[in-house]
Amino acid sequence: MKIGLEVHVQLPTKSKLFCSCSTSAEEPNSSICPTCLGFPGSRPSLNRRALEMGVEIARFLDCNIPEEVWFSRKTYFYPDLPKNFQITQYDSALGTDGCFIVKDKTIGIWRAHLEEDPGRIKRVGKSGEEVSLIDYNRSGIPLVEIVTAPDLSSPEEARIFLQELLVELRHIIGTTAADEQSVRVDANISMGSERVEVKNIQGLRNLEKALKFEASRQFKMLEAGMKVIRETRRYDEERKVTMSAREKETEEDYGYIGEPDLGTFSVGVLARSMSTTETPLRRAQRMAGHYALEFSKMRQIVLTSMPLADMFETLAQNVEPGIALAWTLGPISANWSSLLPRLDEQMRTDLASIITQVVNREITDSEARRRIGAIASGECPNDLSCAVEDELLGTIISAYIDEHPQVVKDYSANPKSANSVIGHVMQVAKGKYNSQEVVEAVKKEIEKRKN
Amino acid sequence: MTCLISTEKLTALNDKYRPFAEIAQDLKEMNEYPPKFHFSAKDNICATGFQARAGSKILEGYRPPFDATVVRKMREANGILIGKTNMDEFGFGTFCTNSAFGIPLNPYDLERTCGGSSGGAAAITALLDKHVALAESTGGSISCPASFCGVIGFTPTYGRVSRYGLIDYANSLDKIGLVTRSVADLKRFLPVISGPDRRDPTSCVQPELRLDGPKVKSVAIPEEALQNLDPAVLRAFETALDKLSEMGIEAHRVSMPSLGFALAAYYVLATSEASTNLARYKGMLFGVRGGKIDQSFNDYFSEVRSANFGKEAKRRVLLGTYTRMVGFRDRYYLKALAVRQLIIKEYQGLMEKDDLIITPTMPFIAPRFTEIAKMKPLEIYQADFLTVPPNLTGMPHISLPCGYEDKMPIGMQLVAPHWEERRLLDVAERWCDDFKIRFPEVSG
Repeated sequence: MKIGLEVHVQLPTKSKLFCSCSTSAEEPNSSICPTCLGFPGSRPSLNRRALEMGVEIARFLDCNIPEEVWFSRKTYFYPDLPKNFQITQYDSALGTDGCFIVKDKTIGIWRAHLEEDPGRIKRVGKSGEEVSLIDYNRSGIPLVEIVTAPDLSSPEEARIFLQELLVELRHIIGTTAADEQSVRVDANISMGSERVEVKNIQGLRNLEKALKFEASRQFKMLEAGMKVIRETRRYDEERKVTMSAREKETEEDYGYIGEPDLGTFSVGVLARSMSTTETPLRRAQRMAGHYALEFSKMRQIVLTSMPLADMFETLAQNVEPGIALAWTLGPISANWSSLLPRLDEQMRTDLASIITQVVNREITDSEARRRIGAIASGECPNDLSCAVEDELLGTIISAYIDEHPQVVKDYSANPKSANSVIGHVMQVAKGKYNSQEVVEAVKKEIEKRKN
Repeated sequence: MTCLISTEKLTALNDKYRPFAEIAQDLKEMNEYPPKFHFSAKDNICATGFQARAGSKILEGYRPPFDATVVRKMREANGILIGKTNMDEFGFGTFCTNSAFGIPLNPYDLERTCGGSSGGAAAITALLDKHVALAESTGGSISCPASFCGVIGFTPTYGRVSRYGLIDYANSLDKIGLVTRSVADLKRFLPVISGPDRRDPTSCVQPELRLDGPKVKSVAIPEEALQNLDPAVLRAFETALDKLSEMGIEAHRVSMPSLGFALAAYYVLATSEASTNLARYKGMLFGVRGGKIDQSFNDYFSEVRSANFGKEAKRRVLLGTYTRMVGFRDRYYLKALAVRQLIIKEYQGLMEKDDLIITPTMPFIAPRFTEIAKMKPLEIYQADFLTVPPNLTGMPHISLPCGYEDKMPIGMQLVAPHWEERRLLDVAERWCDDFKIRFPEVSG
């Protein structure tokens, strides 16, 4: 089975691709202007931030980035397309011939380019009396289209590809969950010689469902000795089936010409001026290699959040990576939502010193957990807490010895008399302290009183 | 002070010569302080308070909610917009006979064309004292009517003047310019409308506009331009060359073989772009609405377009759609782009030796409507063979009156390298010091 995807992601810019309208309006048709409505006399001018985001994505996908890019007009008549042509990139792309690695498999990226989103059509009314309403708030929102080679070999792999791609994009350009829900995919799928395009699938879950349906439809046809015809189909989310779209247009009938109003843009220079950031999954890959740990665990950490990965790496510098991992995925993850808002260098150092103390057997696991919990709830924001705790241990011991003064007397003859104090402390503190710690503190206190 | 301009006067003028598509209903502002000047805008240039129909029925009722940058700048300079001038539908024509709102007439002879597509702009400038017109040229639409109406037509370098607010014909060719009665007006208003505008990215790469510079010493005359001319035009042109030589401007005969390809390349590029620009007219959002809305979208917009586009608009949409289609795109659209580069190189090469290139503007004087009716579309396209080439290159050019034949004006056209508008102004100033521009007698 061969699957290739055309993924359309909305870029999280403040304003639209070719005008200054806001991208975050709620009320239908409230964020529109002559340009995104295609009024005669209006003209596009490019949103630089969208271009930058597009180039960042192309770079991340290891694409070849040309020195200059331009835009084209793709002409087709549709009610949601105000100008009846879409400004996109045709014989010019932000990047070509890139790749993306999913579970150690390299998926080819044919190209990544920028284009404007059309408006949104909404059908309302009873069946038979339906009316189409158009919301142009979406008209002109910047999209990046990422086209893969047909390297994906199952609906599940296609879903994972998209999922992981979105994780990375979230980090690179700051897409949000809402942007991810609006992701639209055109998928080409072939079981044998002919491919079928399933258009306009929205969201991750639908992608897998649509592809599964289409794969089994083609499989059944081939089994029955029938031929799969090359066509465009669309996915019906309600009925969970793909249906022939009966579209006549082929790619070339769009009559592409250059968009003369925008000119050319030097993206080569732009790409070279950008600093590289390590994306979550690439970081997981690196950490897995560097610390010799399982990739899936590293993935779990980076997907929780990149600061958690920072925390893990701080721990791994102080203790063995395996132990750092256990504490990161255990108590630290458990308290993560409370720790994260106040996480800073100091807190990372405090947490690292707690775990170092456990490793050095200075405190017990449960005491460490308690301290982490305390830091999370903001009770003892720094290592002052440890001093307070030591004092508390001393208080329990003094109070017991005050009540049982013969312990000190007996001690010279029989050091085992200290055991009653130790047993008491262990019982009262319920494992708050490491036994060695308690033994030393009790001996110290008795020695002090002997003199 | 009472102003000489009034809606009544303009209406009377319009009844006779029909230069306007729409006239301002209130011109009281003309009398206010500070002193005002009056200007008009071709109907494809958007201005608040007016419809912008670009000569097309399909834009009936379109009232742009914004001023074109040029209109805003003229208004800010104390200009009063007195009306929108008539034009060929979307600029598709040479004689202004393709407007949905009547045919403007030549101020010198009502049986003749005023030229196109900025016909109304040239006619009103010839008719109205102290008037300046904002016009637009894609393939000669400023030079042609200026020549036929005996006024000055100035087409700046592509990118010199912001096109924000211009209803597109072919975006890579469209240029807003001026029709004026004097070189002084030209020098006054060219700086007003020029300059970078972030609303039109193609205007943001321009070097500063300069009005003065070294004097023009020589001009080149392409031999190819002197073929198939009306003898009266050739006579006037040769007389003009003699006068230029007396003024110290040498003329050199040169060969320019690429001129022969310019028309073909132009019509491919212009119609390719036009057919995409006209796609937006579908009876939604602006302009006319279709009758029945309970039909399929394809049927709806086809009905609206069939009923409201004129014949020439339909012809150019078909031509332009054809040249962009798969299988033809390489053969026409991409080849035309290459030819355009070739022609630019040839112009640049010639202007390394001579300062300007000079030709007559039009191959004949303004034809009668009866003669136009007999012309085939291709013959009409061929009438632009001298005005199309500089437009294809994006180089600035000017049409200056250079003689008269039986009262009818004849024009000559000078072309300068990109951004060298000042060379044209230099020759225009020296020429007009000597040559007396006539204006038609106007009877209300």
